[in-house]
Amino acid sequence: MEEPPLLASTSRATASVASSSSANCPDPMDEGPSVSVPGLPFAEQLRAAGRGASSGSPGGPEAQVQALASISRGIYPLARAEALRGLAAVLETADAPGGVVELCHGCAVGLMRDEDEGVRLASVRLLSSMARDMCTNVRIEAFNALGKMQRVSEGVLLQSLSKKVIKPNTGSGSIIKGEKVPPKLIYPCAAGIFAHGIEDEFHQVRTAACKSLGALSKLSAQYAQKALDLLMGMMNDDTEAVRLQTLQALFHMATYGCLTVQEMHMHMFLGLLVDMNASIRDATRKILGLVNLPKLQMFKSAIDVLITSLEKHQEEQEIYSVLFSVGKNHGNFSANIAKHLAKEISMPSDGELILDKPRIKALLIVSISVAFSDDKHNKRDIPEVIFSHAISLLGKISCAIGEVVDQNSLLSYFCQRTGIPFWETKLPSRESEGCSVETVADIRPRIEKTVKSTKCLDEVLTMQSVKSIIETVERTWTIRKSCNIRDVRNILRTCKEELRILASNSSGSTGAFLSFLCEYLDAVQFIVEILRSFQLDNSYDLGPTSPDILLEKLDTSIRRMKCCYAGFNRGMEIQVCELALLANLFGLSKVGIQSKLVLDKLHWVINRLDCLCADGSCELSYFSREIKKAFDANFVGHDIFTLLELFHPKPTTDYGMLKTISADLQVRDNDPENSSTYVCGLPVAVSLYISLCNISSQDRLWLRMIVGESIQHTFLELSSFGGNDEVKSCSTIIPFYATPMACSFVLRACLVMECPYGSVSIRQECNRGPSGSIIELSDELDVYFVCTKRR
Amino acid sequence: MAIECLVLGAGQEVGKSCVVVTFGGGKRVMFDCGMHMGHRDSRRYPDFDRLLADGAADYTAAISCVVITHFHLDHIGALPYFTEVCGYHGPVYMTYPTKALAPLMLEDYRKVMVDHRGEEEQYSYEDILRCMRKVIPLDLKQTIQVDKDLSIRAYYAGHVLGAAMIYAKVGDAAIVYTGDYNMTPDRHLGAAQIDRLKLDLLITESTYAKTVRDSKHAREREFLKAVHKCVSGGGKVLIPAFALGRAQELCILLDDYWERMNLKIPIYFSAGLTIQANMYYKMLIGWTSQKIKNSYTVHNPFDFKHVCHFERSFINNPGPCVLFATPGMISGGFSLEVFKKWAPSEKNLVTLPGYCVAGTIGHKLMSGKPTRIDIDKDTHIDVRCQIHQLSFSPHTDSKGIMDLTEFLSPSHVILVHGEKPQMAFLKERIESELGMQCCYPANNETVSIPTSQNLKINATEKFIVSFCMDETENDPQKQNLNFGGDMPQGCRTEGVAEGVLLMEKSKTPKILREDELLHSLGMETHFVHFEPLHPSSIEVKHTGESAVQQSSLEHLDCE
Repeated sequence: MEEPPLLASTSRATASVASSSSANCPDPMDEGPSVSVPGLPFAEQLRAAGRGASSGSPGGPEAQVQALASISRGIYPLARAEALRGLAAVLETADAPGGVVELCHGCAVGLMRDEDEGVRLASVRLLSSMARDMCTNVRIEAFNALGKMQRVSEGVLLQSLSKKVIKPNTGSGSIIKGEKVPPKLIYPCAAGIFAHGIEDEFHQVRTAACKSLGALSKLSAQYAQKALDLLMGMMNDDTEAVRLQTLQALFHMATYGCLTVQEMHMHMFLGLLVDMNASIRDATRKILGLVNLPKLQMFKSAIDVLITSLEKHQEEQEIYSVLFSVGKNHGNFSANIAKHLAKEISMPSDGELILDKPRIKALLIVSISVAFSDDKHNKRDIPEVIFSHAISLLGKISCAIGEVVDQNSLLSYFCQRTGIPFWETKLPSRESEGCSVETVADIRPRIEKTVKSTKCLDEVLTMQSVKSIIETVERTWTIRKSCNIRDVRNILRTCKEELRILASNSSGSTGAFLSFLCEYLDAVQFIVEILRSFQLDNSYDLGPTSPDILLEKLDTSIRRMKCCYAGFNRGMEIQVCELALLANLFGLSKVGIQSKLVLDKLHWVINRLDCLCADGSCELSYFSREIKKAFDANFVGHDIFTLLELFHPKPTTDYGMLKTISADLQVRDNDPENSSTYVCGLPVAVSLYISLCNISSQDRLWLRMIVGESIQHTFLELSSFGGNDEVKSCSTIIPFYATPMACSFVLRACLVMECPYGSVSIRQECNRGPSGSIIELSDELDVYFVCTKRR
Repeated sequence: MAIECLVLGAGQEVGKSCVVVTFGGGKRVMFDCGMHMGHRDSRRYPDFDRLLADGAADYTAAISCVVITHFHLDHIGALPYFTEVCGYHGPVYMTYPTKALAPLMLEDYRKVMVDHRGEEEQYSYEDILRCMRKVIPLDLKQTIQVDKDLSIRAYYAGHVLGAAMIYAKVGDAAIVYTGDYNMTPDRHLGAAQIDRLKLDLLITESTYAKTVRDSKHAREREFLKAVHKCVSGGGKVLIPAFALGRAQELCILLDDYWERMNLKIPIYFSAGLTIQANMYYKMLIGWTSQKIKNSYTVHNPFDFKHVCHFERSFINNPGPCVLFATPGMISGGFSLEVFKKWAPSEKNLVTLPGYCVAGTIGHKLMSGKPTRIDIDKDTHIDVRCQIHQLSFSPHTDSKGIMDLTEFLSPSHVILVHGEKPQMAFLKERIESELGMQCCYPANNETVSIPTSQNLKINATEKFIVSFCMDETENDPQKQNLNFGGDMPQGCRTEGVAEGVLLMEKSKTPKILREDELLHSLGMETHFVHFEPLHPSSIEVKHTGESAVQQSSLEHLDCE
């Protein structure tokens, strides 16, 4: 029931506000006589908003502004629009102080995305009045805000470019205002905002205006075209910042596909390509690589100027890639160039090496680009001679082409086009297809295929060697009892080394798998050693091979396999579980360690294995089945050592999408020569750069810092890291508290990850630190500290 | 009280700007004292006799002061005549740059008139110097108390170096005379800037009363393109320009472009006035645009990097070059000499200003493309060169006038310095869109403008207290709304308060609160009690709310 009085009062407010504000915003609602009582409308609006202002005497603009601002957040669109109108009026009447202007600005920007068209119009109007403000900062802000507009009618946009008031041909502008009064003028308030903005005295305002011009151009094609005219004029601006911003705006337009260069702009545009300023040239080239030039004449002049620019600045290699993309975007024009070039090259030259000329190089690249353009029929037209010359410029061309094709495939393509035999044997996929390819049309997919196949080839080779390594390991396992332990160690070590070499040459999943395999071999070696030490009856062989230590090492190795890789497939997880099973079995085998903890772990692993094989897609190995049986029978009647003998390593080669989890820790400005300083007994800051690979948000990371006996763990909040899912990084400063009373010390820092072992809690830490077992993600880093000398 | 505005010149025409404004109390200010370039007879000067009462002869007594807005001859040309021939000895005000450049302009024109055209000398060089000695320089935003009542203040107007808009105030009556101004900045001058003032009258120029100009960027672009094309083809570019303003503007543009494009072609200034003017520009840097003000500590933009020393013999040299030569419309002098030499080659380019007076060669070139121009019976020029027309007007356009008028919101507007039909159009717009009264008197017409009058009243303490109390009581939040100290204390508060205005003979009017009224009149309060049959009783003050009474009585009737 509140609405009718509200509407009534707002429309009365309109009458008086509009009359007091500006008569060049004729409002169809403005029918009554203008009552110019400035205070009244605001009081009425206060009352309308139910704020109980009975006296109607708000004191000063600040109160009005505040009241209007609060109304502008109200629920009724008409009230919101009127509030904005009121704000505009306040701005015009008073010497608006800083606070008021900012508030108005805030309101206008806030309501720019309002769902009601009337409100949006009103906010544009408010901003427009601010764009002509006498204060520079207000104008800058106003233009910034204009650039943020998301929904605005084309009429307003076009009007904002032209100082002349555009007469509408239809009455479409007046939907909200009711049908009674067809509007004579639509948005006179918006007239020429940008025309003024780009001519502003202050370059900051001009920059802001340019930016907004570019940003808004994606909303309307007609607007974009007109805005281009203005922007082109801005290229002669005397401030470099404005020129760069203009180019950026154009680039923005080009990326949104709303940039159509006309002939009249070409002179300006090409002039920029030979500008004295390198960044201007660069920005212009970027745009040129994206635009569409409708006429051959324009295309040719663009190419010519690029060549001139190339002759002047030989060091700017990007010009080649721009030439390529320009050529590629205009297939039929480039084909034309190619024909002329072919004639020119074929002509007998007077002993000069024409290929050295930048012009010929440039034209060659343009001609070659035809082959990559989307125009199918043009591709046949490239004369053969072009390709034969292109071969000598292979490096430049492949550089210009960028990531599309690699150099070898390109060379093979050129050779094939010119009929020169090419080392086809190296590319197995080519043999199957033969070299009888007639059309160029399918060359691209073929080149891509070749690229792919060479990649595959690498992988196949790698996997073959991996397979042979695995076979070797398996063979070694079977002969481990019969031959000397040293030979076994040697074989395993060689295998690992070979794997490491392979791993260093591969990346992605393959690399991850290879390093996983290394870990696996580590584990196998430990197992061999442990079994060996059991055989030796562990009476004298102490030291590094003592079973306790070996067991610990095996545990760590298994933990690493389990935690440092993501994206296991089932087969691999079973593998790791079996190793865990074995490790736990070793634990059991030792007299006196048959604790509940080990049994719990064993139980967990068996459950996990069961779970993995539950749907029958995998089968438990004989070893696992036997252990399960023994476990169910509480190991009564089962000799643990016999069970141990049942294990057989059988690494799978199917690795799926395996990823390595890793971390890198770096310390800034610190080495033995250049130690950081600290004060004895006081905390010291360690400034670190941490980057993480494939860490998921569930992982719990700690930074472990060790000095002598004291260990400090600091939890790392993953949310403070920037980056994507794959690589995250951050620079952080972490305090180390327990600085020793010494004149210098070395702090060993290391990133560790908590390694959840199911529900089995392994130990309870009472002090701050990771719970459960941990693995080290990074290498241990030494940080050097020296005490500041104090007197 | 009224303001009388007598338009002595530039009424419904362009030329000899001169407006005399008479405030109440006999204060009279003459704004501008220009001459008309189109007339050779007595019409060239404003009709100063109209200022004098019948029989009087003393201009000094008739006028409080003269204020000159800028150094263009149609604004200052009659000043030496007025002071030295007519014998006005009162104060003359103009800005520092105007004072510096005015003698140059005046002497240049005097020479042209006397030496070249052989006309009778209106005033001598000594007259000019004597006249300038009477001038009191003004600075921007400096308020000058001309006498006890009259104060004037200058605001930046763009247009040319040193141009100002003048604000004048006598008592409560205030006006602004704009002179010529520009609302869009150009390369060497900023945009006009003025405070929000409470005005009774705005006298504004209206050169472009109807025209809305587009962005000048496109014109600049075309100009640079044409020049670049010409010089890269080995041609020579002749830019006829007046010494001040356009020459500097174009040269900054070219110098900047040369720098960016790394061009090595020489740019020349034909000697004389232009070089002298450049020197003044260098000194008066504070009156130029923002960009120049910012950068001059590092590099004075009027030290043009690519401008070379020039000698007359250079015009016969081969190879491309750009030459600025006076006068601007190729009406004679050096620019004509060069034009004769260069016009026959199709490689060359002549850049003309947007407007040329009829009869000059510039005008002939603009109207169609003649192939042959006859200078006199014996000499004629074959014109094969390219012609480029470039209009850089330092006047504001229609939109600018509207913007300024809207911004200042005066009660009345008077248009001067424009052409009649366009002025009529603008008058309509101002009246309909801005709701202000507007007129455009012809020369020698007088317009009388009523002024608002302020009346001082006293207010009782109670009234003021209640006014403030209301505010805080009703909205406790408002106390927090006073944005720190940002609000100027004296600004108009647009609150509404209720009170009673008491005007008594021989006493200052007083405003007081309703309940104080009886006390101050020495009367007692009477209460009327109704005692109806109904047990309820209604109390009504004697001030009486009859509606309430009635309704309650009706209510009783129903009972």
